[in-house]
Parts: sequence; C-alpha cells; structure tokens
Amino acid sequence: MSDLHASLLNTPILAIALTLAAYLGGIHLFERLGRPSWCPAVLIGAVLTAASLWLLRYEYADYQRNVAWLTLLLGPATVALAVPLYQQRQHIFALWKPILCCLPLAAVLAAFYSVLIAWLLGAPSVVLASLAPKSVTAPLAMGIMEQIGGSLSLMLGGLLITGVMSTIFVSLLARLLRITDKRILGFALGVNGHAIGIVRAFELGPTAGAFASLGMSLTGVFTALFLPLVWRLLGL
Amino acid sequence: MKLLRGFLWLLGFQLLGHVVVELLSLPVSHAMAGLLLLLAWLLVKRRLNESVATASQALIPLLAMLIMPGVVGVFFVIDEFAGHWMAIMVALGVGTFLSVLTTLWLMRRFMPEEAANADARRREP
Repeated sequence: MSDLHASLLNTPILAIALTLAAYLGGIHLFERLGRPSWCPAVLIGAVLTAASLWLLRYEYADYQRNVAWLTLLLGPATVALAVPLYQQRQHIFALWKPILCCLPLAAVLAAFYSVLIAWLLGAPSVVLASLAPKSVTAPLAMGIMEQIGGSLSLMLGGLLITGVMSTIFVSLLARLLRITDKRILGFALGVNGHAIGIVRAFELGPTAGAFASLGMSLTGVFTALFLPLVWRLLGL
Repeated sequence: MKLLRGFLWLLGFQLLGHVVVELLSLPVSHAMAGLLLLLAWLLVKRRLNESVATASQALIPLLAMLIMPGVVGVFFVIDEFAGHWMAIMVALGVGTFLSVLTTLWLMRRFMPEEAANADARRREP
C-alpha cells in the first residue's frame, strides 16, 4: 500500500491530473460564487491544490518537480504573447506619445514604491526581489525572477494581491478624481493589475479591455527589460 | 496540423531567444527574448502567420493554469517569511495605491482628449 502511494507520488501523471482537476474545480467554484473580482479563479484552484497535497501527504518540492512536465508549456505560451501585442500595434502607433510619456514612468514606479516601502520596513533582499515584478503579468514576472532571484511563490502571491487591489483602487480613485475616460481606466488597470486588471477592464467595456491588454503587455515587456538591468547595476 | 506547426514556430522562437540571450549574456529570460524576436519578425513581415495565431490562441488561455502550481507554493513559504508579512502587505497595499494614483494622474495629464474634443483643445494656449 505504501509502495503504491510512493509510486503514485512519483509519477508526473498524478501531479498533472491533480493540477488540472484543481484548476477546473477552481473555475467552477469561481463561477458559482458569481465571479468575485476579489478572489480570482487561480487562487481558488491553488487552495484546492494545496489541500489535496496536504491530504495526500505530498511534499511540495516533489509536486513541483513532477508538475514541471506541464509547466514547461509556460515558455512557448510566453512567446505566444507576441501575437496579441502585434495585433494591438495600431493603438500603439496612434498613441505613441502619451504612451511614451506615461508607460516607462508608471511601470518603474509600480515596482519602485513597493520595493522602497518594503526596504524602509527592513525586508531582506529576497523579499524585495520578490515584490519588484508585482505589476508584471505572471509568465514575464517568472522570467524576471530567474534573473534577479527572489522567491517564486512569494512573488506570485504578491502578484495576485496586487492585481486584486489594483481593481479596487482604480474604481475608488476614478470616482475621487472624476475620471471617466475608458482608455485611461483600462490602461491603469493593465499597467498595475496585469491579467486580473484586464478581467475588470473588460467589464467596463471593450475599449477599456483593449487598453488594459495594451498596458499589461507594454508594462511586462518594459519591466522585463529594465528591472534585471537596474538590479544588476544596484548590485542587489 | 496548424496547431502543431504553430507550436513548433513558438518553440523555434524560444530556442532562438535562448541562443541570443546566452551568446550576448542579456539579463532577460529566454522566453521573453523569444517574445521580442517573434514580435520583431511579425512587425517586419506585417502578416500574422495563421498557424502561429492558432497556437497562440490555444496557449494563452492556459497561462493562468500554468502559473497555478507556483501560486500553491505561497502556502508552503508562510513560515519561511514569518516576521516579514507585515512589511510585505504594507508594501503591496500602499505601493499599489500610490502606483495606481500616479498612473491615473499621468494618463490624465498626457492622454489626448477623445477625438471630438482634440481640436477644441489645440486652440487654447
């Protein structure tokens, strides 16, 4: 019996099946809960996965090693993000001036504020490195992580929290600052809240959605290029 | 077959990114370099290859599922970062608030008014 248990935990098939089941279960629960923007489907799926790992007495390190057969797809899926970026080229060409003025600064500050605050509160450098890519879409942020170090899990947790809080703060500040321009709201959602912001932006309409995807892709690409460079220069 | 052909294209660009990053020792991930190379290639060719479009439409919706195993790890590092959670939460909360505020302010400052008002504004000093 314990041999069977050990051999099941040793095959990638169980790890992959577990992941797919938890993810589909997460999506199902997410729909049943009425698509709450404060609790993304992937978070529910992660809780389900963690619970099954605990029930099966499955070490996280073993699970991670086995599920790598599946997550290998992250590479080509990241490359595939070039396609939506290419399809948005008209927006980029038409609005290159405001984008050039806003995007680099906004993307830098999205990383800078949190790193500065964490540093002031005495967080160690591994935490700082994990917080820096917090507004970058996960696959690109994982690429950044390979370069600057940090904890992958902490970074992804921070990413989810950032995404959820961005949607809350954009709605709040839009009301306070009386901003109704869908392009601005969408862009702010994408720049700060990556994929979770995009979901919220599409609820505001297709224009907001398009600008959110644009903001997310550009922030991701820009941050992936500048952050490892800055990190290396600062010697962190 | 379109899907497979497109998948092969994506793998090819990721490998190309791998080669470029390693040869020039660039500080970006292999997949990121592949993304930029594919984007450059599309911009030069000015035409989206149908098989690449098919493969990307198939893969992009899977991204959330592919990052989930990493997210699961959060529940296993809670002890590792004990004592830093306060700093992490404050940094995420306040940092995100400030960066949303800055983005909205910058965009309002630089974004041209929607087409109808653009001309009216130009006449002002």
